[in-house]
Amino acid sequence: MKRWKEPLWGLAWVAAAALCLNFAADVLRPAHTDYGSTWEAYLCEPEDSIDVLFLGSSYAYCDWNPGAMYGASGLTGYVMGGSEQTPGITYWYLKEALKTQSPSVVVMEGTSLFFDRYQNYTQINLGYMPWGMNRVRAILECAEEDKKLGLFWDLWFYHDRWKELTAADVKKALLPAGADHLKGHTAVDQVFQQTEGGPFLSEMRQSEEVYRQNLEDLARIARLCADNGIDLIVTINPTYSQYVPEIYERLGEDVLVSRNVRFINWSDHFEEAGLDPAVHLYDGGHLNQAGAKIFSAWTGERLLEMGYAPREQTEENAAAWKAAAEYWMGRGS
Amino acid sequence: MSFLSLSYFAFFPLAALGYFLLPQRGRNLWLLGCSWFFYLCAGPAYFPFLAGVCLVSYFGGRRLEETRRKGLLVFCLVLFIGMLFLFKYLNFGMETLSRLLALAGLDWSPMVPRLLLPAGISFYLFAAMGYLIDVYRGKVEAEKSFVKTALFLSFFPALLSGPIGRADRLLPQFDSRHEFDAAGCREGFYRFLWGAFKKLVLADRLAVVVDTVFAGPGQFGSVQVIAAACAFSIQIYCDFSAYSDMAVGSARIMGFDLIENFRTPYFSRSVAEFWRRWHISLSTWFRDYLYIPLGGSRKGTGRRYCNILVVFAVSGLWHGAALSFVVWGLLNGLYQVVGAVTAPARNRLRAALPGGEDGALVKLWQMGWVFLLSTVAWVFFEAGSLTAALAVFRGMASPVLWVPPLSGMGMDRWEFLAAGVGFLILTAVDWYSTRTDPARKLAESPRWLRWVVSLALLLVVVVFGSYGSGYDAQSFIYGQF
Repeated sequence: MKRWKEPLWGLAWVAAAALCLNFAADVLRPAHTDYGSTWEAYLCEPEDSIDVLFLGSSYAYCDWNPGAMYGASGLTGYVMGGSEQTPGITYWYLKEALKTQSPSVVVMEGTSLFFDRYQNYTQINLGYMPWGMNRVRAILECAEEDKKLGLFWDLWFYHDRWKELTAADVKKALLPAGADHLKGHTAVDQVFQQTEGGPFLSEMRQSEEVYRQNLEDLARIARLCADNGIDLIVTINPTYSQYVPEIYERLGEDVLVSRNVRFINWSDHFEEAGLDPAVHLYDGGHLNQAGAKIFSAWTGERLLEMGYAPREQTEENAAAWKAAAEYWMGRGS
Repeated sequence: MSFLSLSYFAFFPLAALGYFLLPQRGRNLWLLGCSWFFYLCAGPAYFPFLAGVCLVSYFGGRRLEETRRKGLLVFCLVLFIGMLFLFKYLNFGMETLSRLLALAGLDWSPMVPRLLLPAGISFYLFAAMGYLIDVYRGKVEAEKSFVKTALFLSFFPALLSGPIGRADRLLPQFDSRHEFDAAGCREGFYRFLWGAFKKLVLADRLAVVVDTVFAGPGQFGSVQVIAAACAFSIQIYCDFSAYSDMAVGSARIMGFDLIENFRTPYFSRSVAEFWRRWHISLSTWFRDYLYIPLGGSRKGTGRRYCNILVVFAVSGLWHGAALSFVVWGLLNGLYQVVGAVTAPARNRLRAALPGGEDGALVKLWQMGWVFLLSTVAWVFFEAGSLTAALAVFRGMASPVLWVPPLSGMGMDRWEFLAAGVGFLILTAVDWYSTRTDPARKLAESPRWLRWVVSLALLLVVVVFGSYGSGYDAQSFIYGQF
C-alpha cells in the first residue's frame, strides 16, 4: 500500500486540477441563453414533459416559439437547434436530447440539408453540448480539425475572457441554471423591408457529395426517431430565402426515402399561416418575433390536426408553461 | 513536438512510465527509441543526420581511445563543423563573399540551394564534438555501448534546444538505475510548470509587443521602442530559460540531472558574470573547447582580450547565420574587454562609496547596467539585420516620446497588467532562487502547500497564458538555432 501512496496522491492531484480547470472553464465560458444550443435550460425541463422537439438551424430557433405554440394548442415544445447547424450535428443533438425527453414528434427545419459540411458556428453548436459520448463523437465526426482541441477543452477558446469577467460569470458557474420562457426560441424584432420583389430564389450551392452526406445524416435522424417510436417531420418554413421549386421537389423525394418521415414545404405558406412578409420577416430568411408567434401557433394547430395531443403535465409544469404562454402573449405583437 | 503541445503531453507520460516499468537492461533502449521517435516527429528528413552523428561519434570515440590520433579527431571535427557550415552557414558565407567581391567591383552571384536545417543540429553536434574532444583528451572513456552513445546525443529532453550535454556528466547516468522517486517527480513537474509560466504568461505575451514595435520602430515614440527592447530582454530570457526548465524538469521526472542552463543572469553585476549565468551549457562549452585551447588568459592580456572577442564572435555565429548575430556576439565580447580594462578604476570608485563594494545600491546599479548593456546587444539579435537594428536605435532616439494609443503596441492595458504582474512574480521567484532551489524546496514542503502553489500556478498558466484561438503560437526562439 505504501508503494502506491504517492502515485495515488498524484492521481488525486490530477483530479483536483481537473476540477479547478473545469470550474475555470465554467466561469470563463460566456453565458449562452439564446441563438440556439441552449442546453443548460433544456436540461432543466422536467423529464418526458416535451410533446414536440424542434430541430434544425436558426430557421428553427427564430421561427418556432414553443411558448406561443403552447398557448394556441396546449402542446409543449422545445427548440434544440443551433446556428447554421449541419444535419450531422443535429443527429447528435437529437441523441443527447432524447436522454431526458421522449417527444411524440420531432419537427426538423430542413434548410440545413442544403448546408455545407462545415458552417460557421461549430464552436457554439458543439461547445455547449453536455459532456458525454455524444459530444465526443459529435466533435470527432462533425467539427473542423482546427476546432477540435478547443471543443475538447473550452479554455482553449475562452481563457482570455479573464479581461471581461463580471460577478455574473462567477455566479453562473456556481449556481444551477433554471428553465426559462424561451424554450430554445430566439426572439428577433426587426422587420425586413425589401419584400416587394417576392422571395429570392436560388440554386443549390453545395456539392452533390455534401448533399448526399446531409441526406445520410437525415436518414440517421429518421432511424433514431423510428427506434424511439417518434414521428419525424421535415419542414421548410415560410421564408423569402427560397430555393427554386425543383430543388424542394427533389428534397421531398429524397427525404421520403427514409421511412417514418413526412416532408412539408411551407416556404410559400405565408398567407395560410396568417403571416405578412412585409411585417413578419426579420430578414430575407427568418421570421421575427411577431411572425414566430403566429407561425408557432399555426404549427401547433397543424400538429393537433395531425393527431398529436398534449401529454399530461404536472400541476407545477402546467403552471410554468402557462406562464411562458402568457409571457409571450404580451410581447412582440 | 514542442514541450507545450498535446502530443508531448501524451508522449512524455508514456515515455516516463515505460522507462520506470521496464527492467534496467531495456531502459536505455526504450529511452533511445522514445528520443528518436521524438526527433522523427520534428521531421523524418532530419533523422539521418542525427543517426549519422551518433554513428560517427560512437566509432570515432572508440577509435580515438585506441589510437589517440589527432588526425582522426580533426577529421571528425571537420566533418561535424562542415555539416554545420553546409546546412546553416553556406548561404550566409556565399552572400558575404558575394558582397565582399562586389565591394571590389566584381559581380558574382552564386546559386546556392536552400538546404533544410535539421532541428537541434547545433546542439547535438556540439555535444558530439565535446564528447570526441573529451575522449581524445582522456577526460572520459569512450562509451562501449552504441545505445548509450546515441542516447547521450539524442536524449529527448535536451535534443532540440539543449542544455548541451557533457559526456562526463550525462553518460554515467545511463548506467545507474533510476527508481521512481516521488519527490524527484514533483520537483521535475514544478520545474516544467514554472517553465510553462515563463513561456506562456510572459515570453509569448511580450513577443506581441516586441514583434509589433520591431516591425516598424519609426511608427512609435522613443519610450515605446525602448520599452519594446527591454521587453525583448525579458522575453528571450523567459523563452529560453523556460525551455531549459522544461527540459531539466522532464529529465528530472525520470531521475536524470541535466546541466542548469540559467542562474538568474539579470542579477549579474557584470557582463562577464552574466555570461557565466546565461546559457551555461554553451558558455562552458566555448570556454572548454575554444577559449582555453586558444590560450585563454594564459598568454597575456592582449591575447586574452582577443580570445574573448573570437569566442563571442563565434558564439554569435552559432546563434544565427547573419551579420547581426556576429555583431551581437562581438558587442558582448567588447563589453567584457572594456569591463576588464576599466575594472580597477571602477573597483576603486565603488570601494570609496558609503555602502562599500557590496552595498545594495551598488548592486542594483551594476545589475541595471548589465540589463542596459545586454538590452542594447539584444537589439541586434532580435532585429535580424544591421539595417533593422539601426532603425530600432533611431526609434529609441526619436524626439517623439509616445505615439498613442497603448494598444498600438499590440496589447491592451489588461495584457500589459498581466505582463507586469507576471514580471513581478518572475523577479520574486528568481530572487528566491538565488538562495535555494524553489522547485526542490516546494517538492519537500507539506502537501497542502504543494497543492495550493502548484494548482494556483497551473490555473495562472492556463488562464493567463498566451495560447489558443486568437493567439499566434510562438515557437521557442532557440529552437531555430
